[in-house]
Amino acid sequence: MASIEQGKQAIMLSKKHKAGLLNFLSAQGILVFFLICMFAFSLFSEQFLSQSNIMTVVRQASIIGIIAVGVTVVIIGGNLDLSVGSMLSFSTVLVVDLHDKIGPAGAIILMFVLTLIIGAVNGFLIGFMRLNSLIVTLAMLSAIQGLVLIYSGGKNVDIANQSDTWFAFFGRGYVLGIAVPVILFAILAIIVQVVMSHTSYGRRIFAVGGNPAAAVYSGIRKNWCVFSTYLISAFCVSCAALVLGSRVMGSQNNVGQGYELLVLAGIILGGTSLLGGAGSIWKTIIGVLILGFIQNGLLLLGYPYYTQWLVTWVIIILAVWLDLANKRKRLFTTHS
Amino acid sequence: MLKNAAIATSVFMVTTTIAHAEDPYRIGITQNNVGVDSYQTTYESAFEQAADELDNVEVVVLDAGGDVARQIGQVRNLIQQRVDAIIIWPTNGQAVIPVIRQAHNAGIPVVVTNSKIAEAGLEYIAAFSGPDNVQQGASSAEMMCDALDGEGQIVQIAGQPGYTTAMERSQGFEERLAEACPGVELVETQPADWNREKAQRVMENFLTKYDDIDGVYAGDDNMGVGALNAAKSADRAEEIVFIGATNFAVGYEAIERGEYYGSIYQSPVDDAEAALQTALDVLSGEEVPKMNFFETPKITADNLAEFEKPVF
Repeated sequence: MASIEQGKQAIMLSKKHKAGLLNFLSAQGILVFFLICMFAFSLFSEQFLSQSNIMTVVRQASIIGIIAVGVTVVIIGGNLDLSVGSMLSFSTVLVVDLHDKIGPAGAIILMFVLTLIIGAVNGFLIGFMRLNSLIVTLAMLSAIQGLVLIYSGGKNVDIANQSDTWFAFFGRGYVLGIAVPVILFAILAIIVQVVMSHTSYGRRIFAVGGNPAAAVYSGIRKNWCVFSTYLISAFCVSCAALVLGSRVMGSQNNVGQGYELLVLAGIILGGTSLLGGAGSIWKTIIGVLILGFIQNGLLLLGYPYYTQWLVTWVIIILAVWLDLANKRKRLFTTHS
Repeated sequence: MLKNAAIATSVFMVTTTIAHAEDPYRIGITQNNVGVDSYQTTYESAFEQAADELDNVEVVVLDAGGDVARQIGQVRNLIQQRVDAIIIWPTNGQAVIPVIRQAHNAGIPVVVTNSKIAEAGLEYIAAFSGPDNVQQGASSAEMMCDALDGEGQIVQIAGQPGYTTAMERSQGFEERLAEACPGVELVETQPADWNREKAQRVMENFLTKYDDIDGVYAGDDNMGVGALNAAKSADRAEEIVFIGATNFAVGYEAIERGEYYGSIYQSPVDDAEAALQTALDVLSGEEVPKMNFFETPKITADNLAEFEKPVF
């Protein structure tokens, strides 16, 4: 009798153990994978874990990271924003072009205002008109690209005097040895994370994304909440444009092309659900850093940068699978 | 009978000459993607201006917006309109061949401008007019060799993968470097899609990876200046020679400041005018060679003054 009990206990224990491992993998799997990747790259390239390389990667990742912070809020609120890539082109061309015409201060202010107006248009159409966010922002993606080309007439814009302008601070400056883009990224991420997890505004966004009907019944003004997430997204894009324009000191018309997908990849990698109502800024930061280190690692190993798209795809599938596996408590389904 | 035919032909020829004196040549052009960069934008306005200055030319200016399907549709349209000649800036060197053949079969001469089409299509075109990108790559290799005194370690930042111009420049550069300059070693090549910000990122990674870089060859100045930006941030610009192609205004200024060694001067105005002239030569029945390259000289601090600053 005792041996049967013991056997049962052993089986229970192993099941529990297995579930524990699964839980751990799905909760922290992406972090584990990240560490394995870092370790593997460091075996093949001695510079990979050097301080200067890590600083380079974090600095390079901060433009996508800054945008991803805003888009994460939109996604938690239950919508999508695919217009951020074009919006980044728009804001960067604008701030660089206006820099020589009206001075850096005026250029920055005007750029923020106009970008926020675009965000407000998105927010109005999606929040108040209740149009589908995928379609609205996809249409906005091409509309803004057209707007940029009309504005610039197809020409590249450049800042003429690159050495004596304080505008250089945002993309090239350092404070206490840390690059300014990284500092901006960190500040934005901390503020937004605190707002999302410690204020009633943040809880309302989670409620609206998680269960819109219940949110409305409990007196939350859903329209305004959704509207505001697009303002946050546009604000983050403006900050990213500041960094990008200052870093390059010029802009092509399609400079932000494809950023919307890189941003989404970072967010999904981090583990924020595209269905809304869940997610966090921390996760997004990890996702964005993984993307950055993979791209850098592959370059250091001598592969062309587009191999990262393939690798990213594998990791995204893995991340989504582990997430699902956790929800159904097993790795593979048994029924069809 | 034969005599009649001869008379008929000569009468026909006379009437066509008269007709031509009265009606201008109608030339249709379909461009690759105007507005995507300054070169193509300047090309379009230069082409229209050159046509305006000639009395005997009327042009139909179209743009494919980078879309192969749209470009094919535009060529079909031009065939329908019975223009006298078609100039095409191919969106894709392979996919436009069938429709070029249609134009050829309809008796409309086709001039390919700026970017070549694949070998299989050459028999259907009247002429190609544009820069010699292989030669440009070779010229850049020669400049690199001069600048480094035949010894050093360099990296290459190439244009968009699969784009003919990018491939030809790389090919010309690598071949000439190997034969003329065995002491200079090309340690790595990475594409940056003609994009300055990407080039800057690629260069930052190169700077981390290699402690010793003596030179950078970029597929155009836009990317070259991105690489220069990265090297300046890392305080390593002094020790590196930068050489580009398609001289941009930013590259011209960097040469002026002494930060950038040299480039290849390629004017979109020359490019557009050469295309129109080639089409007119074909129409007036001149013997036109298949390949017409307009001149794209080397530009360095020594001869900078001879060139106007590019408008793009």
